This record gives sequence, C-alpha cells and structure tokens, in this order.
Amino acid sequence: MEYIAKTLSDTEAFALRLAETLKGNETIALFGDLGAGKTTFVRYLCKALGITNGVHSPTFAIVNEYMGKFPVYHFDMYRITDEDDLYSTGYYDYLGKGLVIIEWSENIEDYLPKDALKLELRYGEEENTRIFKGKK
Amino acid sequence: MLILSIDTSATAASVALTEDNKLLGEFFINTDFTHSRTLLPMISNLLEIVGKSTSDVELLAVTTGPGSFTGVRIGVATVKGIAFGDDLPCMGVSTLESMAYNLILTDCVVCAAMDARRDQVYNAMFRIKYGEVERLCEDRAISLADLKSEISGKYNGEHIILVGDGAKLTMRELMDLKTSFIELAPEPLLYQRASSVAQCAKHKIKNGEEPKKSAELLPSYLRLSQAERERQEKLLNNN
Repeated sequence: MEYIAKTLSDTEAFALRLAETLKGNETIALFGDLGAGKTTFVRYLCKALGITNGVHSPTFAIVNEYMGKFPVYHFDMYRITDEDDLYSTGYYDYLGKGLVIIEWSENIEDYLPKDALKLELRYGEEENTRIFKGKK
Repeated sequence: MLILSIDTSATAASVALTEDNKLLGEFFINTDFTHSRTLLPMISNLLEIVGKSTSDVELLAVTTGPGSFTGVRIGVATVKGIAFGDDLPCMGVSTLESMAYNLILTDCVVCAAMDARRDQVYNAMFRIKYGEVERLCEDRAISLADLKSEISGKYNGEHIILVGDGAKLTMRELMDLKTSFIELAPEPLLYQRASSVAQCAKHKIKNGEEPKKSAELLPSYLRLSQAERERQEKLLNNN
C-alpha cells in the first residue's frame, strides 16, 4: 500500500479513511524521520475519532491518553532505548485495551505486536508532499 | 493473626482477609477494569462487610511480581500506603509461587506461567506433596519453546498442572507433548488469588522469613531482555 499526500487535506482524508476501518483495539506503528508528519497524521486520525483537543507529541510524557469513539493511547518512543525502558512505560499493559498509536516505532520494532499496522512516512519530491507506505 | 492479602499483578485482581486458618472473605474480579480504580473499593468493601478495619490487620501480604508493570506497582504501592499508617509488617511473595497454593491439595508438579508477550512467559516450577509446596526453580522469563524442551526432559512422566494467565498459551505449546500428563487448572483456580497469597505468606513466616517494613517492600521485575540476551547467545553458540 502506498498513498501520496500532496497537501495537508490529503493527509486528513487518508487519516479519515483509516479511522473508518478501526475497531479500537489495534496497534498502529508509525515510522519516519523528524518532521515527516507523524504527529500531524495522529492529530487528523484522532480528529476523525472525535478527539479534537490536546493531541500533541508525548515526547516527554511517553504516552498520552485520549478519549474519543474509543480510548486512544498515543506513544512516543523517541527516548526508549531498550526493553527494560519499554516495560517501565507500561506499554504491554496498554496493548489491546484501546487504539495504540506509536511514534518512533523504529526504537521498539522488535517488540511490536505481530498484527501491528506498520506505516512509514517519507518526504516526497515537493515540499509539502508526504508518502505513506505500508511496511512489512 | 489477621492477614490482608492483595494481588493486582495481572488482569485478575483480588483481596482477601484471613484470620489464622480461616478465610473470612475474598473479593476476586477478572475483568479489564483498571486496578487503580477497583483495588481500594474492594479493600474497603471487604473490610466493612466482614466487620474489620485496617487497624485490626496484623500482616499485609502482596504479590511483588512478576507480572504487569503497572499492576505490580499498584499492588505494592497500595500495601505500602496502608502499612505506613499503622507501621504494619508486610510480606511480599512471588506471584508464581502464590499460584502454586491454588492447588495445595493435589500432589503434582505446578507449572506457573504468566504471559510475558511475544511467545515468552514468566515461569517457575513447584512440586506439591502432602500439602507442602517445594520450589523447583527460580522465577524466570523463558520462551515457550525452551519451557517445552525443559518439560519434555526434566519433567518426563510427571503429572503437571498449569496455572496463571499464560497457562492456556503454554497448554497450546505443550499440546503435542505426550511424555507427561499435562492439564490446565480449573478456571476458578487458574489465576492469582489473594487467599493463596495469604497462604504463601504464612508459609514463609513459618519457615522463618521476617516480614518487612513498608519502606523495605519492593516490586521485583524480571528482566526480560536478559533472558532474551541469554537465549540469543545460546542460539549463536549452537550455530
């Protein structure tokens, strides 16, 4: 799967389409560099689930909890470097209890659930173009 | 001696009051409700309904792990808080060992297994004979594959009963193992029970272990990564 978003509203449309398929117990693992648009994408995804306020990158809190159509647990693994760190975030207690969205999945790739939906975000040719790619 | 025992180390949570050998009451739930919201109401409801208060309690017993990080912290922190006020003694017990007491009347080998994710379990083995629990190995994080090969070797021909929230997972792995008689504990005995935590704590005291002050009580986490590193080293050495 590959989707090319040329504008922010393309990203929003893509997030909306994905949101419609969710049951609320999935894990979405995001991959992508600084500025690739991970948090922007999460913001649109949450908006589509009825969460309009307070969605921001949990770089320092590690995890933010939002309540929309179902609970959403928004992780940022930027500062997580090994499995002891990961365990102490309570990560394993969150899986399956709501929609778990993970930024910087690169850092915990070995510890993602087998059925996690892996999504890679890349820069396109144009300044505002972003490419979403499903990852195995 | 009145014991208030608590377990919140995994999805199930329970609270029990035990006076000498008598179980006065036990509150057990096995839902996805958050323990931080359910534990204190469970404790106060149980105390109220059996007509006791925290100042009647003479010993606090709690499972200190292995288990869910959040769950273990909720249990240990709550016990520390209750103990601190009246300077009550605390006894921490292994979650796995406490579950062996669920089966105290059956002579068997207990394989206690809690789901540690990604085909691994927190596990320890115990032997029950004449109502006594004997520990056969330390608490550890182990892959299901390694556990299977250990059981097919070391526990060949034994009657093995599985307990814990990883028991069903382990059973699926061991399904084709015909060398031992392996079965699941019945559902009401399958998970951690606060009444068993109290039995386990009493047994430790009988064997001379001193209860701790609330400040000394600590959760004990098993280092998964260490088990994994060891396994990887072993795989490398085998190749």
